[in-house]
Amino acid sequence: MTPAGTAIQQDGGLPRVEEGARSIGASIRAKGLTKVFGSGPNAFHALGPIDLDIKPGEFVSIIGPSGCGKSTTMLLVTGLEPMSAGTVEIDGNRLTSPISEIGIVFQDHLLLDFRTAIKNVMLQQEIRGLDKSALRTQADELFGRLGLKGAENRYPWQLSGGMRQRVSIARALVHNPSMLLMDEPFGALDAITRTQIRHDLEMLWLETRKTVLFITHSIEEAVGLSDRVLVMSKSPGTIVEEIVIDLPRPRPAHLGEYPEFSKYAERIYSIFEKLGVYKF
Amino acid sequence: MTDRLRAAFGGSFVSSVAIGAAAILVLLGVWEVLLRFFEVPIWLVPKPSDFLARLYTDRVLIAGHALWTSLTIVEGFVLGVVIAVPLALAIISVGTLERGFYPVIVFLNIMPKTVIGPILIVWFGIGPLVAALIVFLMCFFPILVDSMSGFRLVDRRLFYISRSMGADPWQTFWKVRLPAAMPHIFSGMKIGVVKAVEGVIIAEFIASNKGLGFMIMRASGFMDMTLMFSGLVAAAIVALIFNGTMSMLGQWLMPWATRH
Repeated sequence: MTPAGTAIQQDGGLPRVEEGARSIGASIRAKGLTKVFGSGPNAFHALGPIDLDIKPGEFVSIIGPSGCGKSTTMLLVTGLEPMSAGTVEIDGNRLTSPISEIGIVFQDHLLLDFRTAIKNVMLQQEIRGLDKSALRTQADELFGRLGLKGAENRYPWQLSGGMRQRVSIARALVHNPSMLLMDEPFGALDAITRTQIRHDLEMLWLETRKTVLFITHSIEEAVGLSDRVLVMSKSPGTIVEEIVIDLPRPRPAHLGEYPEFSKYAERIYSIFEKLGVYKF
Repeated sequence: MTDRLRAAFGGSFVSSVAIGAAAILVLLGVWEVLLRFFEVPIWLVPKPSDFLARLYTDRVLIAGHALWTSLTIVEGFVLGVVIAVPLALAIISVGTLERGFYPVIVFLNIMPKTVIGPILIVWFGIGPLVAALIVFLMCFFPILVDSMSGFRLVDRRLFYISRSMGADPWQTFWKVRLPAAMPHIFSGMKIGVVKAVEGVIIAEFIASNKGLGFMIMRASGFMDMTLMFSGLVAAAIVALIFNGTMSMLGQWLMPWATRH
């Protein structure tokens, strides 16, 4: 829980960070992170070794071809999956067991069908044993912020795909975690919904400044949202390039029209071409 | 809640019941006319007017047996659910158990359940208990198999989410895994009820001294064709009530599973 609004300004070179915006984000530092599935001759070296240094309140994307270990990286730094080698430090503390000061959003909403939208979000309160009315206030606020007002008592099947994913984001944030992990969260949405929800997430992040680790295969999302983009290659997954995205926030809907955006996108494309991800 | 009720009793349901009822009435009418025209004796094939009247005059007797049949279905089915669902979870959770149990389950599943009847009669004597045990065996396997796939098919990432909330295994089971597996378990239960309703009459033929199956068997001994046909109608009504309740329950509890 380090206040670090200013630190980001210096390191990321980002303009327009709101004055006095204080981060409750955690720092993530990983060294030699490696994942090997199986053992002996059948062992599959999936990931690493990779190093990560994510500052409190930073928005970092990992982009790469499918199967490169992006999702695995996310699970390893939270301790949700055991690592084969390496160390992870969250806020300077060595990670030994899964941490729960986090919120996760996956590509699929993964809401429980038997629960209404609000009860899906309040699952956080039930399991964590937190104060009900305080969490409800927090949930109501998030629902308002995410355009979910009026959807509280609807069941997932009564909501559109975009709404479901918004509920899923609310569930990941309602307990005010220091870290938000997103694994291709907009991958299943249509382009229009994706652009809107991307903007809404950016606005939410600008206010709360949680540390975000964002896994994606979309260059537009990575450049449109991140302070920093880490490009990964395949088998074993390693970070081949780090790109600091120095664009003003909030970023516009039609990024393609901006030469600065194109410059970053071109750079990622050329890395992918060099890696053989694209063959034209 | 009203949305759900409307979905469960929607227009399509009412209209399909009306069309079905009309078809049955036409069939019974043709039956009645043909039998009257050809003067078929009542001991060979009774007319609908005969066995429907019998259904009314012997209503106490028939309802009593129908009640026993229903009770037997409920007992066998509840026992099936209570044993199959936890067993499915245990088998899924312990890898060795799964490998060890699999051949046993396949063997018991393909075995005709009624062959156990005579054995059970020796152990427990003729009565509704044996019929309930046969019903249990009949609905046990579909519930077990579907519960197993239900527990197995829960999205792994859902466990990441519950673990990220700091859930203990107990919370993970009650708040995440069981609800997520519920649609599968329920579809197993639905098949289980169909099997139970099918099986209960046969079970009562061979092993009981109460219930519609027993009543029909006894009527057969007396060549009481009318009562046998009345019993058949009563058995169909019992089956309709159980299967109908189950599918309405499904539409009410899980409207997303039946939505297009």
